[in-house]
Amino acid sequence: MFRIRFHGRGGQGMKAASRILGNAFFIEDYEVQDAPRYGAERRGAPIFAYVRAGREPINERGIIRHPDLVIVADDSLVPVPGAGVMSGVDARTVILINSEESPQVWKQRLNFEGHVFTLPVETADRAELRFIGATCVGAAARLLGVIKRESLAEAIRQELADLGSDMVEINLSKALAAFDSMQAEEGRVTPAVTESAADYRPPDWIDLEFEDARASAPAIHAGATSVEVRTGLWRTLRPVIDHDRCNRCWWVCSTFCPDGAITVDSEGRPQIDYDHCKGCMICVAQCPPHAISAVSEQDAQAEEAEVAST
Amino acid sequence: MSKTQTKQAPVSEAKVTVYRRMKDLPSTHLLGSGTAMCAGCGGLEALHEVYDVIGAKSIFVNAAGCMTLLSVYPFTPFRGSWLYTAMASAPAGAQGVRDALDILKQKKLMSAEEDMEVVVLTGDGSAYGMGLSSTSGAMERGLDFLYLCYDNEGYGNTGQQYSGATPHAARTATSKGEHGFAGYKKDLFSIWTAHKPAYVATVIGTEPLDLARKIEKAKSLKGPRLIIAMAPCPTGWNFDPQHTVEVGRLAVRTGIWPLKEYVDGNVVHTKVPHERVPVEEYLKLQGRFRHLFEPQRDETMLAEIQARADAYWDGVTQ
Ligand SMILES: Cc1ncc(C[n+]2csc(CCOP(=O)(O)OP(=O)(O)O)c2C)c(N)n1
Ligand code: SF4
Ligand SMILES: [Mg+2]
Repeated sequence: MFRIRFHGRGGQGMKAASRILGNAFFIEDYEVQDAPRYGAERRGAPIFAYVRAGREPINERGIIRHPDLVIVADDSLVPVPGAGVMSGVDARTVILINSEESPQVWKQRLNFEGHVFTLPVETADRAELRFIGATCVGAAARLLGVIKRESLAEAIRQELADLGSDMVEINLSKALAAFDSMQAEEGRVTPAVTESAADYRPPDWIDLEFEDARASAPAIHAGATSVEVRTGLWRTLRPVIDHDRCNRCWWVCSTFCPDGAITVDSEGRPQIDYDHCKGCMICVAQCPPHAISAVSEQDAQAEEAEVAST
Repeated sequence: MSKTQTKQAPVSEAKVTVYRRMKDLPSTHLLGSGTAMCAGCGGLEALHEVYDVIGAKSIFVNAAGCMTLLSVYPFTPFRGSWLYTAMASAPAGAQGVRDALDILKQKKLMSAEEDMEVVVLTGDGSAYGMGLSSTSGAMERGLDFLYLCYDNEGYGNTGQQYSGATPHAARTATSKGEHGFAGYKKDLFSIWTAHKPAYVATVIGTEPLDLARKIEKAKSLKGPRLIIAMAPCPTGWNFDPQHTVEVGRLAVRTGIWPLKEYVDGNVVHTKVPHERVPVEEYLKLQGRFRHLFEPQRDETMLAEIQARADAYWDGVTQ
């Protein structure tokens, strides 16, 4: 059985990608499970989806702990602990990652022995982000080595029909180009041997003492504790204010920012809280004198690292 | 349709508002950052503006929906208490909280200054559907509470299935057909005002001054006060999150989302789009209406939606 885990951010099409891959396996007469994780996370937040495919009925359930293939739509997710990209990965896992950086860099960075393949996709243009899923699924299908080009194309047509023929065509061309680009690596992913229930070892349980409901009920005793959550990690684009251009209007940016991530100081100057800005770019679209521009988060971070090292 | 009156900017005319111009809007915000709402959420935009006016002395009673995820232990963006209820029963929860506060006051365990505003917060799925009966009951009993419905026109939290608030022709997860949703958006404003509560208003986060004045007025009154905030939803309506404000502004300028209030038995429009922008300017920004433009324009449907907006405003005395 193949176990494939997709990591991306809400809105990058990873859920659709997992459905396409599942469907392509199905067209190849596999037994298939595919599911996105349904959780508290939203557009921009880390999400994951998974596909299991095998020739025998699949009895395994739940999240995939030991993936054969990990697909990462957005390399900024790798260092985010909550995204769990490296969870359960071992030397035989294949990692396919959408990144400007080379496989060697990733192997070194992750101290990882196995195969890493990269797919450079332009992320600075958010309109292009919608097609990351198609590119990833095309490359993945070839790495798996058991999905024919036509089956992949058919799965895309079926899954994306609702989006209209133009979108189907763009997705098809992205996916098939990625499929073709991985020709030399066909069949790199090997299915893991299915464990038998007899070999199952229960986890080490910890016994917790029973507490009175008043002690154990989840009561929060302080206000606005949500600021401890760094939703700034969701961001792929970063709004940057040019304070020379800002005319200290009636703080359009601060009022419209849904997340309250822009505050205005005593001199009427807006400041963006990058720990919490999710990168919606409403401020960029609304600032009357166009004092706020969007830069790629990746570039901004690289620049910061450079400044810090000098 | 009954005729309703219209005046320009009459909100809080009788009383002095502290929100006379944009510069009077708060520039620092009370609601904590770091919530799990989507990037660009129009509902959160409205809530953070509303919260700045309501203030920290409030208790939120929240029915299941996207905003349930505002407070996930041990995190909350609120500075006061928050209580979670089933989808149908937030107003009933609010009754319990109000009664408890009143008993504490009566027993002199809490002073009048320490009293808090009880605020129901639900999505449209609750407000227009499952929770309508308990809201009706609360109004019938004259419950002293504020109701804020963020209307993203569908069951957002579970993947945007249609609700009683979904507009005609919109594609949702449960109306995927060629023509989208076959039903029509319920007129919740009229359903609520038929109960003759103290106050009802429609607002939108993209009109922050109008919103602040209305919340300020609601806060100054006693009894049932209910607010519907249209909440452009990038995820469920399928548009880029940077366009939340643009979509909201067009909802008002096309006349699709009338800004109005009901007080003392009268309905007053607080912002009349005199030269209404054609509705298609609003529709074409959103993926849920893409089938009205591609592969070819659905002229009949576009004309029907335009005619409905026109008919609404024809019924408003200018
Ligand atoms: C009685 C009941 N039925 C179904 C659900 C599942 N459910 C949770 S949130 C939700 C959608 C609520 O829609 P809405 O009130 O519009 O809020 P939104 O999710 O759009 O914020 C549903 C159906 C539930 N919690 N309770
Ligand atoms: S919206 Fe633009 S001009 Fe207004 S305060 Fe923000 S940056 Fe300055
Ligand atoms: Mg809703």
